[in-house]
Amino acid sequence: MKRKSLWWLLSSLIILSVLLSACGGTAPAADEPAEPADAASLPREETLYFNGQQWGPVVGWNPYSSNNNNAMAISQGDNARVTMFETPYLYNMLDGNMYPLLADGDFEWNAARTEITFKIKEAAKWSDGTPVTAEDVAYTWATHVKYNTPTGAGNMAYIEDIAAVDAQTVVIKAKLDDAGKTVNPLAVQAYVSSNYVIQKAWTQALEERVSEDATAFLADTAEDVVYSGPYHKFFTDDTKVVLVRDDNYWGKDASMWGQLPAPKYLAHTIFKDNAAGSVALAQGEVDVSQQFNSNIQLLWESYGLPISTYLPEPPYGIGASLPTAFYNLESHGLDQIAVRKAIAIAVDYPTIIANAMTNQSATFDQVPRSLMNPTDGEQALYNHDAVADLQWAGNDIEGAKKLLDDAGIVDTDGDGWREFEGEKLSYVATCPNGWSDWQAAIEVVAAAGKEIGIDITTNYPEWSVYQTVVTKSDAPLPEGYDIFMMWSAGAGPTMPWGRIRNLISSEWVGMASNWNGNWGQYSNPRVDELIQMIPGETDPAKLKEMYTELVEIYLTDIPSFTLMYRPQSFHTVNETVWTNFPHQGDGTNPPVPPLDCTDGWGIACLYNISLVSQ
Amino acid sequence: MKHTIQQIFRSGKFVVGFAIFAVLFLIVLIYPLIITDSPLAIIAQGTFFEPGTYVSVFDSIGAPKYSLDLPHADAKRIANRLSAEGREAMRDWLVGAGVVQDDLDIEDTVQLIALWESHFDSTLSIPGMTNAKRNYYIRLDTSLKGLLSTDATIIAEENADTGALEVTKTIAPNDYVNINEVANVRFLPLGTDNFGRDVLTELITAAGVSLQIGFVAGTIATAIGLTLGLLAGYIGGVVDDIIMFFTNLFTVIPSMVLLILISFSIGQDKRGATTIAAVIGFTSWYWTTRAVRAQVISLRNRDHVNLSKLSGHSIAYIIFADILPYIASYVVMAMILQISSGILAEAGLSILGLGPRTTEVPTLGLMMNWAMIYQAHILGKWWAYLPVLITIALITFSMNLMNTGLDQVFNPALRE
Repeated sequence: MKRKSLWWLLSSLIILSVLLSACGGTAPAADEPAEPADAASLPREETLYFNGQQWGPVVGWNPYSSNNNNAMAISQGDNARVTMFETPYLYNMLDGNMYPLLADGDFEWNAARTEITFKIKEAAKWSDGTPVTAEDVAYTWATHVKYNTPTGAGNMAYIEDIAAVDAQTVVIKAKLDDAGKTVNPLAVQAYVSSNYVIQKAWTQALEERVSEDATAFLADTAEDVVYSGPYHKFFTDDTKVVLVRDDNYWGKDASMWGQLPAPKYLAHTIFKDNAAGSVALAQGEVDVSQQFNSNIQLLWESYGLPISTYLPEPPYGIGASLPTAFYNLESHGLDQIAVRKAIAIAVDYPTIIANAMTNQSATFDQVPRSLMNPTDGEQALYNHDAVADLQWAGNDIEGAKKLLDDAGIVDTDGDGWREFEGEKLSYVATCPNGWSDWQAAIEVVAAAGKEIGIDITTNYPEWSVYQTVVTKSDAPLPEGYDIFMMWSAGAGPTMPWGRIRNLISSEWVGMASNWNGNWGQYSNPRVDELIQMIPGETDPAKLKEMYTELVEIYLTDIPSFTLMYRPQSFHTVNETVWTNFPHQGDGTNPPVPPLDCTDGWGIACLYNISLVSQ
Repeated sequence: MKHTIQQIFRSGKFVVGFAIFAVLFLIVLIYPLIITDSPLAIIAQGTFFEPGTYVSVFDSIGAPKYSLDLPHADAKRIANRLSAEGREAMRDWLVGAGVVQDDLDIEDTVQLIALWESHFDSTLSIPGMTNAKRNYYIRLDTSLKGLLSTDATIIAEENADTGALEVTKTIAPNDYVNINEVANVRFLPLGTDNFGRDVLTELITAAGVSLQIGFVAGTIATAIGLTLGLLAGYIGGVVDDIIMFFTNLFTVIPSMVLLILISFSIGQDKRGATTIAAVIGFTSWYWTTRAVRAQVISLRNRDHVNLSKLSGHSIAYIIFADILPYIASYVVMAMILQISSGILAEAGLSILGLGPRTTEVPTLGLMMNWAMIYQAHILGKWWAYLPVLITIALITFSMNLMNTGLDQVFNPALRE
């Protein structure tokens, strides 16, 4: 009997606890909305969801390292991501201007253009409440140099030193050439919008922790990092990354934004692939999408979903970079301009743009090819009439055939393929496997070869193989890489100079690990000379002349050819929960660029968006 | 022999399977003779054109005109461009902008469009309206332009000297062309795919290639399986042990895993259709070996085999003359199954992106792969993948039916 009652007691206890825990999940909390216990239950109306930025789990939070795989928080560069860490200035790709963030007012060059001076805002604070000072900026640079980080290595040739004059004033001293002139004023200027300011005190603590060991310093995951931005780590695992707003963020001061950004959480589910991301976007589980969604217009035209892009009509986004097919200039026959030009003018670009890119690129009729991206600012930098005869729109099969015939490159043995110096012209066109829009584009390039008697087949190695082969510029490219696709730089404060340098400067030839460009290893002394001269030139007329000459050389020598234009970010938004995202003619002044609400001046988007339901 | 074939064709299942297969096979053979276009030719600029008849607009303008006064022509034109949903959306906008009340009669097209044209302003900010909705209204507004117009559309040409436009033709709402008189009309029964290729032409070529792959793979697998099975079963002893060791080894490793690993290591540049077929053949022979061996073991102690042995015939002779004929029917059935599983294996590999190279020949698996990459299944472009699925299903289904039919005829346990 006793045993039985104990049994009863136990089972009723169990039932009670089950009931209670079931209620616990739904029971209304106290007056204030409770902090969600875990990332699985983020309140939808306080969370902005992303896709297409973060692939694979986060490695760390160390702003000095380039191996964090932490796309939501850390990405330095032309349009630096300023969710957690901040730069002195924000670059705006739409108007080409820099707007102060941590800095107070515009920066100034001295009369000799050898030094930049700017001030730090009084209101700027670190997450630990201490003020951001000029000393932090100086120490960040000193650390980059000391541990030879990518930022340090990339800028050492242009920046002599960064020093703090007083608590608020920063001076950047440029490297000078033998004549006493700044080596590269563009690069010096770009530093202030491309690189984070990191706290001196935290950096010193980290140095102490790793005993100033460079490898350990960069490998530290920096979970304790001090930041100045509006968001910081809330949760990460291999399924999602969540940042949470710091409600004490200094930027709510009237000298900056005057308010906090609207979403309390920035969440990024880690999707398996583009298709999974697209489904989530269509279902309203993603608000801001930075991935290639093929035929994006069908989501609103056929399905009536509240989804939109920056431009309502093709090309849907603002083209910023030029995905390009490079020639291996050492392949048999590709050292001949006639062969390079014949292939380039025979390619059916309208099909690449309509089919591979599903019209998410401007056409070469709309924006004739040059080295510039389709933005008005860059297009104005070269003389269109001077190079009009050199520009081609593609599909010129007859022209290509004639060009080859005239050069004596004909089919001598009657097998249907042309020979050069007795050897059949046979190439492999390649790009990474699974990069669908590029693969489809490469297929179209190969098809053009068949039309003009040049045998082009395609091959798609895995990205891990592809990247090692292509970026090894200290040796000739191996077989199978005759025509290959890579990217170009997008929009940024040093553009188009930086992009042109990446595409055709010979300084990358011979690099063991070349992530910059000119992978076909083209070399032209006049190009190098012009690239050297442009940064120091301030006369717009002369600049235009030099850029025009570069375009002329590029379109004559054809070391590579652009296949399409691609936006900086795809920036597709779903307005199920949030609205007022940047779009063409949204009335913002300065205009907010479509950069996923996270990059450069694009972060202003987070202060403009509001809930649809309100 | 004649008797056997008669028997086979008396099996209903075999006949159905054979008929389906024969029809597919004939289509594969005959279609390329009629439509000679290259299956990989890119004809469409744009992705996933819907199935239908495409008539050249340019040529229609030049074609002879006929005036037809058909009832409801206007209503059809309006319904085609202004759906019920569009009417409601227009009312919502007009109500939101404070122009009309909720009770507006949206079926009165003339009134609705008049109200719309006089009031719509894309820059007007209506509370609660998202940018996506605003874009929708702008598209709607554009599509309504000239909807109620009964004026003729003017075709003009630019004068080369003055640059002025000169009217060359007018097209009235009741002008028609006879489709037979338009020079360029293309019927695309299955539309186009992501590359802008004609799906039907591609599908039929792909079915042919897949059949070839299946046939090569099936032949290789059956040849290896049969040889090893005969040897292991008849000779026995150490030979049997060694062969069964390898057979068991292949049995426990899932063949798909092997296939993936081998295809991946071959590298894409060397993966032609025949290579893939060979790889499939070399990884799927083991179950034929086991089955043949079992049959041979039961046969080798039969009286006629023993008699043959006593007569001093060689092993080769005994295997070919006394054993093979008894298992021939089984081998044919096994080969049919091998062919159909070879086709499925190619499709499986290609969907993973490990199939033959894309540029040379289309295969069923590659078509599925590209349809998936370009998200045809998400965007509802069924014609890019459903016909492929059905073709794969039909081929394997017909072969399995033939196999079951043969089984009924040859297997004494199943004989009715």
